[in-house]
Amino acid sequence: MLKRILCIFSLLILTSTCSFAEISKGNLTIAGFLKNETSTGLNDFDDLSKFKNILQISGEYKFNPDLVFFTSAKYWYDAVYGWYDKYDPAQHYMGHIQRTDWLRDCYLDYTNGPWFLRLGKQQVAWGQADGVTILDRVNPVDLTEYWLPDVVDLRIPLWMANINYSPKLNSNLQLLIIPDFEQSTAAPPDAPFSFRSYKKFMAFKDFWEGMGNTLNINFYYPAKQFENSKFGVQWQDRIADWDYTLNYLYGYDYLARTYLDSTVGGTIRNYGRRFKLVQMVGGSINKSFTNPGPLQGVTLRGDAAVYLNEPTYYGNPATGLSVGVNRWNNVFWLMGLDKSVFTNWQVSFQFAQYIMEHDSPGVGTYQTMNSYTYGAQDQVENIFSLKISTDFLHERLKPEILWSFTDDNQGRISPKVTYEVNDNLWLTLGIHYFYGKEYDSNGQFRDVSQFYTQIKYTF
Amino acid sequence: MKKIVLLIAVIILAWSCLYAAELEYFQVYKPKEGMSADEIMQIKYFNKYTLFAHDVSYTGKAYFIDKSGATRERSTARKRLNLGRKSDGIAYKDLTIFTGPTQVKGLCSLVWTYLNPKKEQDVWLWLPSLKKIRKISQAESDDSFLGSDFTNEDITTRRFDDETYKIVKEENFGGYTSDFMKKTYYKDTPCFVIEATPKRANWYYAKRLIWVDKNYGTNIYEEKYDANGKKFMTLLRWHEIYNVNGKEYPLQMFLEGRDLRSGHITEIINETVKIDQGISEEELTEQALSRSRW
Repeated sequence: MLKRILCIFSLLILTSTCSFAEISKGNLTIAGFLKNETSTGLNDFDDLSKFKNILQISGEYKFNPDLVFFTSAKYWYDAVYGWYDKYDPAQHYMGHIQRTDWLRDCYLDYTNGPWFLRLGKQQVAWGQADGVTILDRVNPVDLTEYWLPDVVDLRIPLWMANINYSPKLNSNLQLLIIPDFEQSTAAPPDAPFSFRSYKKFMAFKDFWEGMGNTLNINFYYPAKQFENSKFGVQWQDRIADWDYTLNYLYGYDYLARTYLDSTVGGTIRNYGRRFKLVQMVGGSINKSFTNPGPLQGVTLRGDAAVYLNEPTYYGNPATGLSVGVNRWNNVFWLMGLDKSVFTNWQVSFQFAQYIMEHDSPGVGTYQTMNSYTYGAQDQVENIFSLKISTDFLHERLKPEILWSFTDDNQGRISPKVTYEVNDNLWLTLGIHYFYGKEYDSNGQFRDVSQFYTQIKYTF
Repeated sequence: MKKIVLLIAVIILAWSCLYAAELEYFQVYKPKEGMSADEIMQIKYFNKYTLFAHDVSYTGKAYFIDKSGATRERSTARKRLNLGRKSDGIAYKDLTIFTGPTQVKGLCSLVWTYLNPKKEQDVWLWLPSLKKIRKISQAESDDSFLGSDFTNEDITTRRFDDETYKIVKEENFGGYTSDFMKKTYYKDTPCFVIEATPKRANWYYAKRLIWVDKNYGTNIYEEKYDANGKKFMTLLRWHEIYNVNGKEYPLQMFLEGRDLRSGHITEIINETVKIDQGISEEELTEQALSRSRW
């Protein structure tokens, strides 16, 4: 195993000495990278949980300054799913890129005066929050590695029309029409970051079928019709140094919920995985305090959203199985503060609250459940994050630490350091340390805390 | 009556002094014999921030060279739109895009600088790893500018009001030889040598010696000294003179910074420059930033 890692590392070092930059000829620009991501157990370096090799190539062609085509393709495979028997059940899904996910971007940009159109496969980011998707729900997300990858890799791009009109300076009206649909994804059981709720359900399925019974799961995707498109509107403006947005999103939730549709004769259970229509109404603000005073140098940012008719699981957390889904109007808001201190240290703090409409599902003694774990969910979840970063050696060495946690004494601590070997080669070393209880969002991964390396060669 | 006339005269005098202190945008100013250190430095800052032009755009490269000779490279494209607009207090807007290497390609910053020197800049960043914009606070003035040997204030944030000035001497500059460019610059250029002392206590330098070109009012070379009087940094700024509609615009085309303590050197080369191309203010907005592709 070590030999293979060393071999790839040597290859990357060798290629990095043959320095060549992006291809840029006339109106065409092509650039890309080759990357290896390796993870091992924090307590056992022989326990490899990832050996992922990624190739991404992006290209831009400018027909003229107002008409530009951009595309980006990505391929990856994760070798550990072939090396270890324990990962066999997850190999098909986790071992290599799925379906059309290889096409990350493919769109045409057209600008004409106050109009800007971006048509094609793309991702759209809304909101000001870091690492918490309050307004950032235009695209589905790939959670096969939980929330650990860069957000740009978490979002699943969709085909859409992104239409923008700026009626005046510093303002913008954005309309999104998204006929494409992909569901948010999660790791299958036996993958390192498989959700406890998924594992619990599959364990129940095995148990049920082991008794000679039948358990069917049917998926009900939204029909491919225009009226099932997702629609989004964002108004963006600036009033007296405050930037703000107003956001509205309507369409099918990207996360399917499991419903028990019927039980036949006590031995056949039919479950349905359904996507529900939801609406999101919200907004964001940001402001840097630039005038002299005690707050000078502080940047304040915030997101807030109401999710109307959001599907919310309930059941018995003790057994770890849901029995039903409520449709509630839940609220999620966040406030963040950023400041540079001591010359080149950046401190970023966020506080968020996820507030559910009711404290109890109102069905027997059942409790509201966390969809990641099927553990009990508080009506109000308080979420905090603190990120500190700096740089040394003329920004060549960049350490950073992120601590995200909740008021339930669970969270994640992720220190990392990135080093620029040369213009084309970058190394990252880091740790993801999870703590908490089995039924907490982060705590469920306390046994898969990891040490990781990333070697990225760009061209 | 006499008192009223005297008062009016004082007000007019004070107003004319104030007006003189605020150099008018889109004009060309040059130093004259007999000017005070303050007047010379006002012209120097005016030229540093290219306030004579309506807009300027550059493409260029930066090289970071450590003591061993290992070199890292960044390429950028920059736009500046000068406004000097009193209605919202905006002096100018800058857009800087990293065009290489690939790891930083697409990283983009939008900076609005205000007329009020006490007011910090508004800064937005386009982060390719998030594919979204983050509003951030102005970087600390003594922090390194993009990892170079220049500090942020050397490049963007230092204002006339941040220091006090006195003319030390007038001389012909002895010339500066750049090993990187293999060329000697400004030999025998007549200069004012001005000592600048920061108003902030315990700042990272105790004084700067600045050589200001007598012909164009540009800062061609400077040395920074620590509290012990030891020189620790030298900065060369090579200007080329562009003739635009009969006006002479001095533009920085090559900068070399040497950290004498670490031996690290930064070279910033502007390869192309375009002046007064009619850059629209719409190109320097948050919306424009959000249309980044990389």
